[in-house]
Amino acid sequence: MERRNSLTKSIKITLVTLIIYGLLVATHLGEFWPFSIYPMFSQAGNPWKRAIVQEINRAEIDSLWKTTDKNGLPGKTVALNELNVNTNDIANYLSKTEVWTPKKQSGVRKLLQKKLLKQSNLLVYQARGSLSDNDEPKLEFVPYFYFSADTTISNPDLRTE
Amino acid sequence: MIVNFWKSLFETDKNPTKGEALHFKIFELFVVIFVLKYAWQWGPYIQQIGEVVLPLGIAQYVDVSFMFEHNISLINAGLISIFALFGFFRVLPKYSYLITLGLFHLHYVSRFSLGEISHGSNFIGTSLLALALALFFFNDDPVRRQRFTMGFIFFFFGLGYTSAAVSKLIGTGLTWPSGEHLWLWIAERSVDVSSSTGSFTPNAIQEWVLEYKFLGTLSLAFGLIAEFFGFLFWFDKTRPYIATALIAMHFGVYFTMNIMFDVYIYELLIIGYPWARLIDQYLDLDKNPILAKTYDWSVKFA
Repeated sequence: MERRNSLTKSIKITLVTLIIYGLLVATHLGEFWPFSIYPMFSQAGNPWKRAIVQEINRAEIDSLWKTTDKNGLPGKTVALNELNVNTNDIANYLSKTEVWTPKKQSGVRKLLQKKLLKQSNLLVYQARGSLSDNDEPKLEFVPYFYFSADTTISNPDLRTE
Repeated sequence: MIVNFWKSLFETDKNPTKGEALHFKIFELFVVIFVLKYAWQWGPYIQQIGEVVLPLGIAQYVDVSFMFEHNISLINAGLISIFALFGFFRVLPKYSYLITLGLFHLHYVSRFSLGEISHGSNFIGTSLLALALALFFFNDDPVRRQRFTMGFIFFFFGLGYTSAAVSKLIGTGLTWPSGEHLWLWIAERSVDVSSSTGSFTPNAIQEWVLEYKFLGTLSLAFGLIAEFFGFLFWFDKTRPYIATALIAMHFGVYFTMNIMFDVYIYELLIIGYPWARLIDQYLDLDKNPILAKTYDWSVKFA
């Protein structure tokens, strides 16, 4: 009898959790930690956007905003791990921000603060990847921001406030 | 049949064993260690964040930017640690893990407010939820508590993996495993790895996949099938096989895409195999003083 009660109670708790799980993920775009529909990599072949930060020696302001391929990236790639910054955070920050208010721009600066305190000149790029017509990956790098210790310049094509 | 399914999931007909008690406490220790790890890994990171870009979970209703300043996230990490240890040592047993879970949720949504939706900690979170519910609803009976926790975790882990496969089939369709998709992800990861470490050099497996498209297709097909059959985690007999397939799948993801879901592998290793039975069969807990002491300790805080 006791075992049966225990079983019934376990089933009830599990099913109620399942219902709450379903309601939460259904109303929160599939994510309500620790609940998830686990959609990672579900959209295969779709274009993606990532980020990369380059340290450049001298700011050539006029030539900053050129879209390029990987070989055309100026300067040296900054290893974000050394700044204790996860590259996913910068990538998502760039791709999910539509209007670049001063506060949003300073949010990117804050992530790169450790590097900027060392007087570095940084160029933040968005990397865009897609499959070409012959199913080969193609990549392009679009500059978003130039940062130095006391300067922030955004790509004129970005929506700012 | 359905009753038998639940009975087998929660093992209500089995007699408790020493191996089960010891294995459970080792598993619980694993969960608590990772809760502490995430708490202190994210605590300082949250202080670097300046703006909520994508509010997740509770952050959709509460402005969590208060966590970004004045070391609040470090205080939260401290509170998470205290309540997790309370839970482990059964201080305030009914509420300690529930409080830990609430604080941990706040920590998660603060850490991942910049747009990334990370799944790395979901299984630890689900395990913490299982422990919290077990201690809340089965506060008076350690054996039932253990059985409920493990059954609950088997159920939601299996569901999670199968859901991941279904998401892929809905998101892309049956062509999901096509090799060129892996090419595109390898290109994506090449940017991520360069960005994280300053450079990227493809490993031998990535070079083979880039050279021979069918290897990419095979690799993705294996991953999709392994995930689809995640629900086999619900059954005692199939659990070690699906755990092995899923561990292989996670290693495949690591070798092809440089993404290591290490905590998933550890947890699958701990819960996917019949360790309790093996402990009972091969270890004499009474004769070995260290094991006897560990067992006594695990019963004391069962």
